[in-house]
Amino acid sequence: MKVLVINCGSSSIKYQLFDMKDESVLASGLVDKVGLNGSYIKNKRNDGDTIKLEGNIFDHQQGIEYVLGVLTSEKHGSIKELSEIEAVGHRVVHGGEVFNGSVSINNDVISTMEDVVELAPLHNPPNLKGIYAVNELMPGTPQCGVFDTAFHQTMEPKSYMYAIPYALYKKHGIRRYGFHGSSHKFVSQRLSEISNIDINNSKVITCHLGNGASIAAIKNGKSVDTSMGMTPVEGLMMGTRTGDLDVGALTFIMNKEDIGLNATNTLVNKHSGVIGVSGVSSDMREVEAAAEEGNERAILALRMYEYRIKKYIGAYAAIMGGVDAIIFTGGIGENADETRKNVVDGLEFLGVDFNHEANKGLRGKEINLSNKESRVQVWVIPTNEELVIARDTIEILNNK
Amino acid sequence: MKEKLEDYALSKSLKSDSGTIKVGIIGCGTMGQELTILVSKSGIDVVFIEISEDKVKSSFNGISNQIDDIISHWGMTEGDKRAILSRVEGSTDYKKLADCNIVIEAINTKKWIPNQPTRKEVFRKAEKVIAGNALLISNASTIVISDLASELEKPCRAIGVHFIAPALTTRVIEVNKCHNTNKESTEALYRFIRAIGKETININGSPGNISTRLIVPMINEACELLMEGVSTVAQIDKTMQMGYGMQRGPFTMADRIGLDKLTKWMEGLYNEYGDPKYKTSPIIKRMVRTGMFGVKSENGFYCYKNGKKEEKNGSIFNLGN
Repeated sequence: MKVLVINCGSSSIKYQLFDMKDESVLASGLVDKVGLNGSYIKNKRNDGDTIKLEGNIFDHQQGIEYVLGVLTSEKHGSIKELSEIEAVGHRVVHGGEVFNGSVSINNDVISTMEDVVELAPLHNPPNLKGIYAVNELMPGTPQCGVFDTAFHQTMEPKSYMYAIPYALYKKHGIRRYGFHGSSHKFVSQRLSEISNIDINNSKVITCHLGNGASIAAIKNGKSVDTSMGMTPVEGLMMGTRTGDLDVGALTFIMNKEDIGLNATNTLVNKHSGVIGVSGVSSDMREVEAAAEEGNERAILALRMYEYRIKKYIGAYAAIMGGVDAIIFTGGIGENADETRKNVVDGLEFLGVDFNHEANKGLRGKEINLSNKESRVQVWVIPTNEELVIARDTIEILNNK
Repeated sequence: MKEKLEDYALSKSLKSDSGTIKVGIIGCGTMGQELTILVSKSGIDVVFIEISEDKVKSSFNGISNQIDDIISHWGMTEGDKRAILSRVEGSTDYKKLADCNIVIEAINTKKWIPNQPTRKEVFRKAEKVIAGNALLISNASTIVISDLASELEKPCRAIGVHFIAPALTTRVIEVNKCHNTNKESTEALYRFIRAIGKETININGSPGNISTRLIVPMINEACELLMEGVSTVAQIDKTMQMGYGMQRGPFTMADRIGLDKLTKWMEGLYNEYGDPKYKTSPIIKRMVRTGMFGVKSENGFYCYKNGKKEEKNGSIFNLGN
């Protein structure tokens, strides 16, 4: 059974074609600069065949049409007929309060998704475009929507509510939703496959550290808290986002700098975080290199970045009454050994006995980084959000 | 042989011109530069036309400076700037407009600029090179769009569109159709306005639209108050700001619009309607004559330094001394 997973961004389409018999990836690729100058599609087949085709790709529908064209082509394709694709799974960023799990997509679901657009005006519209396009191009093929927010819908009101007038929650749905749900779900479930920890009877903290970063407290397999809020700006310090910031400071900045909503949005989303503090880059490798040369602001940015993660780990251990495992994932979590070391440094009181030797230089490999006697296991588990989407799609299809 | 993307289309329905917008801007002074940034920031290619190579160069500098200013006020990033500039082309050759489906005239009609073509000349010249269904838009706020349209072979493609300054942040755009404008043209324009993230305000053939007709009498009346000695510039501004929740008072607004430009609006409206409420206030005439244009000359109803208002009145208040 073959499943196509599609992740539509504002000007890009990422995709993977899975054979769910053995969960292998038949092909993966990217359509970039959709609707812009220099658009292209890049496809990689599992036998190593790679092709990059440049040309005009004006919208998501056209982009997906070319993806399907390449996948079924004689020369670079992985399948003969489109009908071999039995289902399509879409990543959808925001599911609001309506979607607490993945759903099979029909017209009612689409119109509910359209209602949720105002909660994620930048992300949800392109996700929907992908769904419309597949409806057009592969009519009748079952589609499934997998939401970034759904995994965190198990949070209790005491953790998802903001201390603002309750009427605002009722009126506009202002509350914490959390993101990176598929990633937190994948690595926590994967942990129980590869360790002696039973996900249904455990306290796990998952750190998804990429350019966007969030951390989640997962008790007995359910998300009980996560650092991102109504938008992906809250929580950890990120590549270009502030993370937690006193809203009083924000209104003060708006007044002093005489800036409106748009500039404020750009300020907290693009000028802040690691790049804002270091003034070097949002790319952790470049910041680390600058820190090694003694750049004080780069060093400060790194220390702040690690400090925030540690603070959240402490908080989440407190709310769960302890922790059995800490998992690092995402580009930085999987690759930055210094960051991992500095985050867990000093957590011995929680029961962490860290294996420094194993951590040193470790990049992108699934491994237990704690010593045998450690009460808290520390893991690196590479994430695979696409596979979660593919699995959910199959599950929904089978239960239909 | 390099493979072509088109060979991988599922159907033959993938036309190479479906849905794409390319915009031409004729005249790239301050407003043209702002429009260039606005359009390009939305991912749309822009080609601007200027009257000389020097002007093309200075327009690029102007665009770059405007973006730097936005970056310093946190509104964009260096990455955004690179992306915007990569989509902009400048030229002196009208033929470069050939593949644009929307052409915006934003020329400066100041009398002292040599070799400056009139709006009608610009419209005629542009129509010769653009495609049959391309739109011709004028950004002039007080002209009668039908007058301009009458110069064209296809008057149905002419529309008056007023980008209220500052065009980058103002969320609405006034659309002034003439009686010839056809449905296809307006629909294409609405698509474009949505693509640049703005909302349309439809106007039924009125020179001065809504915004200019309302703002001009208010500024004139503010000048009356000042001349009668009723109150000071700062107090009048403050009353409207704090009393009516306006973002800026009438004098601050006048300085930002530019008193020379304001005079043109006033003359245009007075010629059209003959109503004295639009007649240029003597105080504004006097200021323009002495080169006090507002923010851009750093001297208007207030004094300015590097675009920022200083805590002192403009030198108009010393003219009698």
